[in-house]
Amino acid sequence: MNSTEQKTPQKSLKSSLFERIDSENVCPHSRFLFQGRECFVWFLWTISIVVGAFAVAVSLFVVSHHHYALYEATHDNFFTFIIDVLPYLWFVIFGLMVYVAVFNIRHTKHGYRYSVSTILLSSLFLSLFGGSTLQFFGFGYVVDDALGRHMKMYGSQEKLEHEMWQSSGQGRLLGKQVYVSVLPSKIVVFEDVSGQRWTLDVSELNERDLQLLASNEKVRLLGTTTNSKLHNFHACGAFPWMMGRNISPARMNEERKEFIVKMNEIAKEAIERPNFSDEPTSVSNLQPVQSKCSRLAVVRRMP
Amino acid sequence: MKQLPQLPPSDEELVRMTLENKSYFGDLVDRYQAKLTRYIARLGVLNNDDQLDVLQDIFLKTYKNLNGFDTSLQFSSWIYRIAHNEAVSWYRRKNVRPEGHLIADSEEIISFLSAKTESADEVFDKTVNANLVNDALQKIDDRYREVIILRFFEHKEYEEISDILKIPVGSVGTLLHRGKKQLATVLNPKTIRI
Repeated sequence: MNSTEQKTPQKSLKSSLFERIDSENVCPHSRFLFQGRECFVWFLWTISIVVGAFAVAVSLFVVSHHHYALYEATHDNFFTFIIDVLPYLWFVIFGLMVYVAVFNIRHTKHGYRYSVSTILLSSLFLSLFGGSTLQFFGFGYVVDDALGRHMKMYGSQEKLEHEMWQSSGQGRLLGKQVYVSVLPSKIVVFEDVSGQRWTLDVSELNERDLQLLASNEKVRLLGTTTNSKLHNFHACGAFPWMMGRNISPARMNEERKEFIVKMNEIAKEAIERPNFSDEPTSVSNLQPVQSKCSRLAVVRRMP
Repeated sequence: MKQLPQLPPSDEELVRMTLENKSYFGDLVDRYQAKLTRYIARLGVLNNDDQLDVLQDIFLKTYKNLNGFDTSLQFSSWIYRIAHNEAVSWYRRKNVRPEGHLIADSEEIISFLSAKTESADEVFDKTVNANLVNDALQKIDDRYREVIILRFFEHKEYEEISDILKIPVGSVGTLLHRGKKQLATVLNPKTIRI
């Protein structure tokens, strides 16, 4: 190829290029467009990391504040309990945010220089670290609680716990003691969170349970419905309502220990407790009989 | 006083000058037209008219995006990246896979085959037929071929390839290694020794 042949297409390309630039009035895009795009990508990345961190914070809150202490009271075993209570929504949000973060980093000016695994791990680390910090300051609860209050669809931890414990048919009530009389007979009236009032039989409650009931705080009751029409409930145990940002794992462990002791007491009493009825004494009613509490499913589930 | 010979402006300086006076863009076109023509041909744009169309698109896109040029990159890496993207878009538009063209001449092929940059244990036979290698290069995966073309026929450094293809530097090495391996598999093992 000679030099003339080589120059001709070059010249024609350059001239046709300039013709096109002039005829179409082509100008270089503004610097701000590129800077704006870069800022937007970083902004999306920041948002994804922050939302991811909140997802981690709420997940940590939900996972650590589920009432593992009393899981036998609500579920057959720990596996079914875990399956029921894991915050899937937040796991999905977290996964989505990590994906968005990786995508955005890859689309920054120099994002391609880092391997996907490096970007993925750094995004995971930032979200996990941020989430743990947020949860340390109680933001997991704050977010979960705020969403639960303002979004009907959102099943907050508190709503879930309400659903699990406000189930009279399964022997669980959540509410407060509203009335108590000692004479002529002890009558305790309990109002659950739906506003329904129950007459409690507290004969099998121990001193701690009774004190808890009398505290006027929201409590969880474990027992059995003796008459659903008259709303009579035989209480077997009272447990504090633990919801909030300041419930420590140590407090949960303590609750767990107390729960196990309580359930063991009930199981033990089942074979020792005589039947105090008004009927004339007979050989049969002097035999040890099972208390109502000992027939609770939770007692059988205890390890 | 004897005047020092004036060096021609660098690509980056030409970019800055073009933003003030568009006529300087012609110098950039002059500098890169031949290189890019060869490069897009290797990527599969063979017909002269097609090459002119693609080149025009490349330079037009370059001109429009001059303000987005990242000065931490080499201009050549940046314009090669645009060229690569335009060539890929072109054969996607045409719905064809790049095929049947001579990626390199015999000398380039020999130089490619004697390259020992990858690993010492990969020693190629220099008496290989250039056409055979060209055919084999058509048969390997696009991503491997792209890296091999840039490394051995465009003589780009790993960092430049990373900037052109927008992949991590580590991946460049991996792709090159795998590309050569695949190439060796495609080539007749009796002709080529690895």
